[in-house]
Amino acid sequence: MPDARLDTLVHAETPEGLQLALRPAGLAPRAYALLLDWIIRIIVFSVAAGFLARIGGIGMGVYLIFYFLLEWFYPVAFELTTSGATPGKRMLNLRVIMDNGLPITPGASLVRNLLRVADFMPLAFGFGIVSMLWRSDFKRLGDLAAGTLVVYRSRTPGPVRLPDVAPLQPVVDLANDAQAAVVSLAARASRLTAERVEELASLVPESVLPNGVNAAHSKSQRAFGLARWLVGHRPG
Amino acid sequence: MSPFHMTPLSFEQRYGGDWNELEQLLKVAFGQSAWQSQKVERDQLGARLAHLYRCSCEHLAIARARAYPSYLTERLDDLTQRAHQLIYRQRSWGLDALRTLLLIGIPQQVRAHAQHVWLALAAFGGPLLAMGLLTYFDPTLILSLLDAYTVQNFTEMYGAGADSIGRTRHADTDWQMFGFYIMNNIGIAFQCFASGLFLGLGSLFFLSFNGALIGAVAGYLTERGLADNFYAFVVTHSAFELPAIVLSGAAGLQLGHALLAPGRRTRIHALREAAREAIVIVYGVTAMLLIAAALEAFWSSSRWVPPTVKYSVGAVCWVLVAGYLLWQGRPQRHARAR
Repeated sequence: MPDARLDTLVHAETPEGLQLALRPAGLAPRAYALLLDWIIRIIVFSVAAGFLARIGGIGMGVYLIFYFLLEWFYPVAFELTTSGATPGKRMLNLRVIMDNGLPITPGASLVRNLLRVADFMPLAFGFGIVSMLWRSDFKRLGDLAAGTLVVYRSRTPGPVRLPDVAPLQPVVDLANDAQAAVVSLAARASRLTAERVEELASLVPESVLPNGVNAAHSKSQRAFGLARWLVGHRPG
Repeated sequence: MSPFHMTPLSFEQRYGGDWNELEQLLKVAFGQSAWQSQKVERDQLGARLAHLYRCSCEHLAIARARAYPSYLTERLDDLTQRAHQLIYRQRSWGLDALRTLLLIGIPQQVRAHAQHVWLALAAFGGPLLAMGLLTYFDPTLILSLLDAYTVQNFTEMYGAGADSIGRTRHADTDWQMFGFYIMNNIGIAFQCFASGLFLGLGSLFFLSFNGALIGAVAGYLTERGLADNFYAFVVTHSAFELPAIVLSGAAGLQLGHALLAPGRRTRIHALREAAREAIVIVYGVTAMLLIAAALEAFWSSSRWVPPTVKYSVGAVCWVLVAGYLLWQGRPQRHARAR
């Protein structure tokens, strides 16, 4: 598990005894999401208002009720769907969950959205911004009271292909985390420049790397070969 | 190495099928993909999902313990998280839960926090009475809270003139006012609750301010001899509205109290527990204010109802609300000694 000081990951334990890693979203994406939601609400509301204004008194009443619902319950309604996010949050790939990793409950959603009033004070979300910048899990006051967390919706990682080199048998026994480090390097190779890969591979101690098929093999190629062996490929 | 040695590759080959199937079922459950599995029937989806979820939990734990490559653990982590979200989703949306909340949860929660309710009542009722008496003896005092134009509006509204409430209002105006009351009053209540986060001071302020305002208007109109119109108008819906404002303030005070005196918990923990209990009261407040808005728009404003009827109905409503808050949802006294 990565050093807690280096990362903002929040670890939540499931009833199955697993630690799930949640990645809280910071001020900027949440502010964009808020802005998007605000724009969506204005559009929906002006369309509705244009329509209801023609009906007269009843229309006016419905218009006010609609305004009330949109103002207070727009986020609640969307957070309780399976996506757990308002349209703005969904566009920014965010999601609201309980800080123990569970889906958000109706009570918690209502608390965090009613308390947005408190976050807004003294003006322009002053307290909310201070609270979010203060904490490593970026919670605003409403999140603190409700016990909720805004996290990034995890992107499903695509299939990973290790570089296609001949597997090389290890010359020394490697500990589990050392094995994982070598394999991670190989798995990231396709997303890095060749120079960078070479640079990273130079960090691997010479004593660990097996000899290549011929001496011309670069250090990174030998590390890839080792990685393929560790993952389970065998020559032939 | 023994032939049975498990490598990341063989691990993936052996269980990859399960993961792909879970992936597929999750897409179906989240409505992102149509049903197309041949392995299980549609009505077995839940059971199959639960089984595959437990498998992926186990696989993730194994993969982590053996420090398998990060692409493998990340994939499993993502899969498990999504399934976790689905499986532990709250599904009880039935009327049963709502019934229990209305019949038991809300009144019990109000009584459990009687101290906050009394404090809120004092913060609201004190300024109301004080300001009411003061404006009654010195009507100019109302100008310290409201501008002259608004005061004049109030006077006309409850006066005997043609523009007064109810005389010229039509059905569509009733609807308009219904919408206005919902937006305005519930908004005030939510504000009373939310501002309790500032050590309860916000709630105390909004309670006192609204109390003083209502007291001033009542005192002023009484002094001007419009008491009959005014009290007949407000008696019914205030049975729901005034307790609701006090309760929303009490819910806000719970938050403030938890922050000030968290006891043997951290402040954040105390706040979360307080919020979970206070929100139940806010549900009740919302319901009461909806009733109040409907009464205010359609009943209180109707002039064809004689004041005596309004007073009687109002009295019944006050008794009902008080009875609901004081006695509803108490545990039954059973197993009496025989």
